Amino acid sequence: MQLSAPLRNFYERWLARRLPSARQIVLDQRRIFIFPTGYGFFYLLVAALLFIGGINYENNLILALSFLLASLFMVAILHTFRNLSALGIRNGDSESGFAGEEGALEIVLFAQRREHHCVWLRWRGQDGQQISIRRGEEESLWLNLPLAERGRVMAPRLKVESRFPLGLLRTWSYVTLDHYCLAWPRPKESLDCPADGGKENQEAFSSGQSGNDEFQGLRSYIPGDSLRRVDWKGYAAGRGLNTKQFEEPVGGRLWLRWDRLPGIGEEQRLSVLCYWILQLDQQRQPYGLALPGLTLAPDTGDVHRWRLLDALAGYPDF
Amino acid sequence: MARIYQVPSHTRLWLALAVLLCSLPQLVKGPPWQAGLLLLVILIRWLVEQQRMTLPGRMVRSLLLIGAVVLTFYSFGRLYGPEAGVALLVSLFALKYLEVVQQRDAYVVIVLGYFVCATALLFSQAPGMFLYVVLCMTVLTTCLVGINHSDTRASGLLHGRRALVITLQAIPLMVVLFLLVPRVAPLWNMQVGGDKARTGMSDSMSPGQISELSESAELAFRVDFQGDMPPRAQRYWRGLTLSHYDGRTWQQAVPQGQPESEYLYQRGSEKPDWYKRLEGRRSPDQQYYRYQVIAEPTQRRWLFSLDVPFPLYGDVSLAKDMRLVANQPVSERFAYRVDSVPAVSAAINLTSQERQLMLSLPEGAGRKARGLAHQWRLESDSASDIAQRALDYFRDQPFHYTLRPPRLTVDPVDDFLFRTRRGFCEHYASSFTFLMRAAGVPARVVVGYQGGERNELGSHLLVRQYDAHAWSEIWLGGHGWTRVDPTGAVAPDRIELGLREALENSEDGRDLLDDLGLRRFSDGGLFAKVSQLMDYVDFRWQTWVLGYDSAFQSEFLEDLLGAVSPVRIAIALIVAVTLLMGLYALFLLWHGGNERLTLMEREYWRLHQRVSERGRPLEAGLTPMQLCQAISEQWPQAAIAADNWAKYYQKLHYDPVSLPNKQQKRHLRSLRNRLYKLLD
Repeated sequence: MQLSAPLRNFYERWLARRLPSARQIVLDQRRIFIFPTGYGFFYLLVAALLFIGGINYENNLILALSFLLASLFMVAILHTFRNLSALGIRNGDSESGFAGEEGALEIVLFAQRREHHCVWLRWRGQDGQQISIRRGEEESLWLNLPLAERGRVMAPRLKVESRFPLGLLRTWSYVTLDHYCLAWPRPKESLDCPADGGKENQEAFSSGQSGNDEFQGLRSYIPGDSLRRVDWKGYAAGRGLNTKQFEEPVGGRLWLRWDRLPGIGEEQRLSVLCYWILQLDQQRQPYGLALPGLTLAPDTGDVHRWRLLDALAGYPDF
Repeated sequence: MARIYQVPSHTRLWLALAVLLCSLPQLVKGPPWQAGLLLLVILIRWLVEQQRMTLPGRMVRSLLLIGAVVLTFYSFGRLYGPEAGVALLVSLFALKYLEVVQQRDAYVVIVLGYFVCATALLFSQAPGMFLYVVLCMTVLTTCLVGINHSDTRASGLLHGRRALVITLQAIPLMVVLFLLVPRVAPLWNMQVGGDKARTGMSDSMSPGQISELSESAELAFRVDFQGDMPPRAQRYWRGLTLSHYDGRTWQQAVPQGQPESEYLYQRGSEKPDWYKRLEGRRSPDQQYYRYQVIAEPTQRRWLFSLDVPFPLYGDVSLAKDMRLVANQPVSERFAYRVDSVPAVSAAINLTSQERQLMLSLPEGAGRKARGLAHQWRLESDSASDIAQRALDYFRDQPFHYTLRPPRLTVDPVDDFLFRTRRGFCEHYASSFTFLMRAAGVPARVVVGYQGGERNELGSHLLVRQYDAHAWSEIWLGGHGWTRVDPTGAVAPDRIELGLREALENSEDGRDLLDDLGLRRFSDGGLFAKVSQLMDYVDFRWQTWVLGYDSAFQSEFLEDLLGAVSPVRIAIALIVAVTLLMGLYALFLLWHGGNERLTLMEREYWRLHQRVSERGRPLEAGLTPMQLCQAISEQWPQAAIAADNWAKYYQKLHYDPVSLPNKQQKRHLRSLRNRLYKLLD
């Protein structure tokens, strides 16, 4: 059903006022809506038909049967409501991605007071996922999120829905979590590396693969070290998880600088920087990033790369 | 995007069970091919679910459907009407179950199940059947739970438990709705089962007919007295009066040319003269009996009542011979309420045509009997004297009361009176009436039931077919029609104790009781108690549940609400439903809700709350020592007591070894109370 634009706006505003966003939400009667499903209406029609039958045959037991159907429906209202009531929802982890691709958000559901069966979660225009939570436990669910633009992509309004136990009624709630996914800039190829420091920038790039890193020794692995530098052979031989240390490359530390990309738009700059972060990471070159308002010291490794990409995504509010 | 849905494995068994249980009543009474069809369908589904075969295609299913329709037509000769319709519905139910693939199909099967349950109630309204239907409903609800539970690890038994809880909660609501929702008059008329076998009394009496009935323990009707119940010897349930005798058979008759409107009085219609006289004779100080009769179906119109019934309620008319007539043949159990006033019978007059009819005798029959009657007439000076002579005759001559009388040959009257002298009530009633008429006293035969057995639990009366009886009425000037029971002269036990005891007291009777299997109703063992209990339940079910119609309902609501008006009913309905739902909501939504505070937490929060009330509001997250600190700051005089409390609290609360025992808890509480006194 499509509402006309003003009505739609009014509805959205009303909903936003009624259901403000939060990091953690426990569903209560203020947030839960309930309405019969199509089958529920059909069921009521059957009860009405039996009522008419009971009247016409002057059969009190058929009347009683129709009343039993109606009573089951009424009791089902409470049971359906109960299945969603007191369900807790909070932010989980998030998985960033490049703009134009998909990220994912983790939604954590927790059941403090009772178990919740067959709860469906979905964002508008997406397929739902179903989950059941046992009392006193937590379950989490990853929902994909298309990332249209670079930056923080806020979690859309989440629809939490359930028809359990009888399928006669549908109970649902909208949850706006204060949760976001970072969309990194889409990498944009460019020939000039916007970096300085080191000997010769261009050389550093062009001779990147030539192996000017001199193997220096091993140290024990620290989480965040690039997996490419782990001494896997040694690990396989049972010598523990170690990271290979290389001598400082000839080129020295590279600084990717915002200032070195004059004359193009902000997003373009970020895209180029993103491209070079990925390139340099592949070359295992230590690299740093200097943005207006934020400077990140040169380093290597996955965590470093993510930190830099996140900084690009967050620009200008870090 | 629609996902391919399959009935979850934990629900398949429930669905099969639901189909089987719902169809069972029809399978038992319907044609055997229906059971075959259902078993075939269940077998196919089982094989499909075991993945031993694929689901039959459209072709096979259509063939099965056509087969079911043809077989229905073959069995019932038609496709409409209740029996054939139900048979078709049940077949359709089975075939729909065969093709369940999607959730939608399962929903359709469940809805069909509701209808099948309803049709079972169309043919049987016993309490057991209703319980069975509620069971079926629970299983159908279980299926609903199951198909809405898509977790593969869900357990089928838990579905059953959940459905049971929901059904049990729904039943009180159902009772409320049943009691309060107004009964509407039928929108159009429907009748089920018009072609059932007739049981009970026929509209004529010839030798052997009533003794046949005596061999049946089937229920004839039940009576619920409001107030006194007449003693057994007075309980003559009049059914029919028979006035025409052809030498062998007594039949109903009215004088020629009498219109029915003059003979029958229906409530609301114009009152005939005889009814006005009856009413005129009524006075409040007369003894009367008020009772409700629930008659079993007879397919006949006549009803049974004590002497001079005034109908209060029910679709019945009063006939001039002081008996009740239903306005339609009694095809289902039928209830009517009556006041019986024995004293007014004298108000009925006897027209000359009627007198002529009540004296008529067949030509040529009973010559010897006529002679005897003539002799009595000459020797007596009143009609009652003649009757007394006849009774004396039965008493003094060697007459026997027996259920197995010898055959009467040429002239039944003379043959019985002077040769065989062994007979049942119909012989005595017939020959007595004959003698009276021959002696010039207007007389008629009355058939009905005599006595009845009291249900100790419900204190209602059960009248069975073996209570069938025949007696006479003679016209006495000034008294009107007067009952005379010649059987009482021969076998007083029959009247005082009832047929069973009467037979027990005679030699050949006991063997007869064994032959007929009637004895089990007479012994006072466990069986009798159980059968009394079952009868009680059935009777109350009949009066309170099945008989809860609009009249009964408005009476009940008047008791409950004071007065009946749509607004009051609506308010009562809303209040009752809201109360119940509120109760359930409390139970469902708060039951086992918040983690309950432990005793130690309660101790802490009580003090916390008290301090917040008396002094500055405190933050929630204080440790016991911080709480103690806050107290000391505000009430320096309580510092020591607060410190004692906090230290003891910590000692108990953080003791890693054991939980605080009762004594320690009490001590903690006393510390807290001591602290309270200092917080002023």
